[in-house]
Amino acid sequence: MKYLFFIFVSVVIFLSCKKDKVGFTPTPYELNIPSHFPDMIIPEDNPMTVEGVELGRKLFYEERLSRDNTMSCANCHSPSASFSDPSQFSVGIDGIPGTRNSMALINLGWQNFFFWDGRAKTLEDQILEPIPNPIEMHQEWKDAVAKLNSDKTYRNMFFKAFGQEGIDSLKVSKAIAQFLRTMISGSSKYDVMYKYENSLPLNSIEQSVYASVTAEEWAGYDLFKSLNGADCFHCHNGPLMQVQKFSNNGLDATFIDHGRNGVTGNPADDGKFKVPTLRNIALSGPYMHDGRFNTLEEVIEHYSSGIQMSSTIDPMIEFASQGGVQLDAFEKDLLKKFLQTLTDYDFITNPDFQDPD
Amino acid sequence: MSSESNRKIYSFTRLYVLPLPAEALSTLSGFGVAVDTGKVIFLNSLKVNIICSVFLNLLVMGRKIKIILAVIVLTVVSCKDDKVEDPIPEIKYVRLTMQPVFGSSELSLNDTITTAEGYKVQFTDLKCYFSSLKNGSNELTQSALFDYASRGIEVFKVPGDPAKFASLTGFLGVDPNYNHDDPSAFPNNSPLNIMNANDMHWDWNPGYIFIKVEAKVDTNPDAITVLDHFVNFHIGTDQFLQNLSFSGLNWSDNGSGVYTAPLRLDLEKFLQNGAQIIDLKTEYTSHTMSGQELLSEKVIQNFATAISVY
Repeated sequence: MKYLFFIFVSVVIFLSCKKDKVGFTPTPYELNIPSHFPDMIIPEDNPMTVEGVELGRKLFYEERLSRDNTMSCANCHSPSASFSDPSQFSVGIDGIPGTRNSMALINLGWQNFFFWDGRAKTLEDQILEPIPNPIEMHQEWKDAVAKLNSDKTYRNMFFKAFGQEGIDSLKVSKAIAQFLRTMISGSSKYDVMYKYENSLPLNSIEQSVYASVTAEEWAGYDLFKSLNGADCFHCHNGPLMQVQKFSNNGLDATFIDHGRNGVTGNPADDGKFKVPTLRNIALSGPYMHDGRFNTLEEVIEHYSSGIQMSSTIDPMIEFASQGGVQLDAFEKDLLKKFLQTLTDYDFITNPDFQDPD
Repeated sequence: MSSESNRKIYSFTRLYVLPLPAEALSTLSGFGVAVDTGKVIFLNSLKVNIICSVFLNLLVMGRKIKIILAVIVLTVVSCKDDKVEDPIPEIKYVRLTMQPVFGSSELSLNDTITTAEGYKVQFTDLKCYFSSLKNGSNELTQSALFDYASRGIEVFKVPGDPAKFASLTGFLGVDPNYNHDDPSAFPNNSPLNIMNANDMHWDWNPGYIFIKVEAKVDTNPDAITVLDHFVNFHIGTDQFLQNLSFSGLNWSDNGSGVYTAPLRLDLEKFLQNGAQIIDLKTEYTSHTMSGQELLSEKVIQNFATAISVY
């Protein structure tokens, strides 16, 4: 009996010591949110930690998440293209192209829905899709998890991030979501213009940026938010440079891709797609849900003269019946110059967002 | 006390001397430590302590005494439980709703109605801000956003005593005291926070859009419905702020401490407020820009008049 007791005590002490040695001491991650941005609401079941972000970053660039170990998230969300794909349609590991253009990953912590049709309500849900998708990374989650589980580095990183042994798809999506939430863009020239327009204080660096804004860029901004100009502001405004809604922006009179309607089944949603941010728009072409436009000039021309009427067209496109807002060449050039102020070079070159390996 | 009983007590009490994980200790509050004497001395919980002591001693006592003691102790403990409960004060919530109607019929977005002029109209979006709602010195809420498409008829639900709010005054629109503040700086749960305002804020400092009415219209009064005429009324800026006053609010008890009072928004009255008529054929857009002042004023005045206690 006494021996049994000693054995029991020894086992308990041993187990306790082991747990203390590995340790789970997550370090809260402090997001660097620009002063003119709203708070980012973090899901209660996925708090931001340094360990989680580090793991998520590694996973974002992890090619073993694809079946043939050739494709990571970064393949379709390239840092050099503002974390989007410069191809019209991304091509999966089996050589099959998708049907929609890869969206730029910017300020995702403030989005209310994900994908062009908004079928994912959370960032964590969105991340679960591309890996098993047959036309993308085409790998069952159990196989992806098995690969990660065979790697001691990952086993340790997952334990440090979540305090539990074992890897699963939910932990993978949570870690990547944490990393993506750190990808905040809020230091473009436009941000200084926005703060000035809203009487928000500018620091010394912003003062110098403000001084560098050209008359043409200001004129382009005026056109951008003018009803009788380019009339862009109904869908693109605020610090995020977008409103959270779905819109039919007059690309087609009839629809091959039914967009939001495919999710809701509501005929009123036919041909509607998520309004994207215009941040880094000069870097994230091609444009529209199907990547049909290669250049900003083509996009501007669409809103100027190429609007197609349909029953679900966004009523905010007030000159739709005339084909668009009818800008002249000078105005188009001004508008393009303003759109280029949305480029955030600090964002695309931020070393914290690059491949850690 | 037999030696067998002694052994039982000994091993039982020793079991609790084992180093338990912190989680287990917190779960077993009061059971943490026992000693060879058979008396539990870990006093996290007096009740647990008594129970443990009694049961440990029961193991070595006569059967009758065991039963009597057990009954006494359990009775005392049970009585104590019943006695200590304090009533939890009920938190009351007041909830204001606003039901869009067209005349006597309730209206959903994208319903087709016919105006006095014979126009067919589908309202596609209805939103508005209320602010500084109070009854005298009793303040109710700083702001509220009605968004029929996204949130249905609920205008707000906030803590409050319905007895204090039989009447309400406030603004249709956003109080100038905070209309021009940084929209990102409002608390996350404020309707004025940019994430909640979404497309109800102009980001070049005029502030918030007070009311938004969007519709599709067929202005040809024939048998064929072609809704190809768009209506956009986005009215804001301080000069068009409207005073509101409601009396006789009937806060009905919905249970769980929630009291609801209904308003209605009559879009027939919005289009035809006495002699102040909005002809959608010719008066179909205002974004409160220069040159649109007359229509902007008419639109928001009609909207304010169209709101009443339901």
